[in-house]
Amino acid sequence: MPENTKEDKAGNIAVDVKDLNFYYGNYHLLKSVNLYFKKNSVCTLLGPSGCGKSTFLRTLNRMNDYTEGARLTGEVLINGKNIYDKSVDVVELRRDIGMVFQNPNPFPKSIFDNIAFGLKIHGIKNKDFIVERVEKCLKYSGLYDEVKDKLNKSALSLSGGQQQRLCIARAIATNPSILLMDEPTAYLDPVSTSIILDLINSFKKYYTIIVVSHNVQQSGRISDYSGFFLDGELIEFDEAGNFFTRPKDKRTENFITSRY
Amino acid sequence: MEQHSQAPIFPSNKGYLKRKKFYNNVAVFFAVTAFIIGSFPVFHIIYKAVSIGYKYLNWRFVSTLPTGFPIGAEGGILNAVVGDVYLIIIASILAVPIGVGTGLYLSLFGKKRTNSFLRLLNELMIGIPSIVWGIVGFYVFSTNAGPGFHFGFSALAGGLTLGFIMTPIITLLTEQAVNQIPASYIEGALALGATKWQATRAVILKAALGGIFIGILLGVMNIIGQTAPLLFTNYYNTGMPTGVTGPGGAVGDLAMLIFIYIHEPSKILHYKAEAASVVLLLFIFALDLGLRLINYLAKKFIL
Repeated sequence: MPENTKEDKAGNIAVDVKDLNFYYGNYHLLKSVNLYFKKNSVCTLLGPSGCGKSTFLRTLNRMNDYTEGARLTGEVLINGKNIYDKSVDVVELRRDIGMVFQNPNPFPKSIFDNIAFGLKIHGIKNKDFIVERVEKCLKYSGLYDEVKDKLNKSALSLSGGQQQRLCIARAIATNPSILLMDEPTAYLDPVSTSIILDLINSFKKYYTIIVVSHNVQQSGRISDYSGFFLDGELIEFDEAGNFFTRPKDKRTENFITSRY
Repeated sequence: MEQHSQAPIFPSNKGYLKRKKFYNNVAVFFAVTAFIIGSFPVFHIIYKAVSIGYKYLNWRFVSTLPTGFPIGAEGGILNAVVGDVYLIIIASILAVPIGVGTGLYLSLFGKKRTNSFLRLLNELMIGIPSIVWGIVGFYVFSTNAGPGFHFGFSALAGGLTLGFIMTPIITLLTEQAVNQIPASYIEGALALGATKWQATRAVILKAALGGIFIGILLGVMNIIGQTAPLLFTNYYNTGMPTGVTGPGGAVGDLAMLIFIYIHEPSKILHYKAEAASVVLLLFIFALDLGLRLINYLAKKFIL
């Protein structure tokens, strides 16, 4: 764990996970996970398929709420508040936490409506504001020049990489402070992947970004912090420099050097 | 490796290579035969009905009321066409909201265990014979004795009974249509902070609209051919209805008209029954096209 003074911790922590256990039926999926994510940093969570890293990511915006048989103990503090507290409004929570999924999943609507949807569901009716916001989000995600003439075309007519960038634009439309990304480049070609990795790097100054990945190389390119999951346990969590060059745990080393 | 082992030999079975083409031909032959046998009744019905009833297949037939003696010997079947429109509208007003709502509940909102029970109940409802629905409709809607709605033999009683037959079909098809939608659409909407209803309205209904319309279409096609439930709830009216309940509230119905005309000892009425069945087929065909058009337009402009 990176060293931190108490003072630093209070103001600089976006997400603080304390002793998180997750069960699916009788299956103990996440075992006592403890870690925290600093504000305005990019953190990647690595691990082989089925190690629980995606499940962990989904506990951060309570997407597991709808999974039947799911049970959870422990705390997830976002801005000092436990999101599993009864008083927390899930809708507001998810507005504050954007999420990008593994396969690009734009809605079967026009490009414009895809981004406007996030604003409309939160009760924003001011048309000028929506138009301005959609434009801004498309510019941020580097898609504006490619789609500015066809905003009313179906989002499904875009290429895979463009769709994923549209999903990112959609996620930032609600002005979140945290972005969760579940293997955002898994299905994309190298060029699109590269664009999205650059995007993640440039987004650091606005958002706290948590990326789940099983690609060591790509993670090394974007990470400030990195963690390694194996069989539901957090094996190691450290600054990227240490993590990728001097891993403390043998299992981490095996994974990042592909001797798995 | 020093020694190159020989490339693995692919064992050939000449006899089977010949036979497998034969098996393929047998399968094709079987499929084609099955199609011919299966589709024969449809063409036969159309041919028979048209060849017998062609004399009456004109606009006058569908636009005039039956007159003469026995009733129907002269004039047309306007009462039945209008009555069918009444029944379909009344049944749909009941069945579409309940059916679509239940389907959405089953696929999106309910808990697993209650859902499997409700699904069983729904399938049971589809299986209930229509004559039983007729009796239920009679006691609940028609009869003036005991507790019930006391609608009399009327379009409302008949339509609502047909609505109950239509509901489980719409439920089933709606649920299937919604289940076909990729979960990622729903997740995407929820992750943005949408409530389940917002996600349903904005994303799911649009994607599932085609399937839901097919459900409604199947429901309407099912009830338009029903006679048994109408025997006890609406029966038949040779004239135009004066209301939807009580005396004068009963409507004519094409299926019922065919049933009654065929029972009359009159050649003319038999011919007219055949002609009416052609009209019924055309009616279903028109409904099919109409709903498809609505579906297309709704997808394009409304949602």
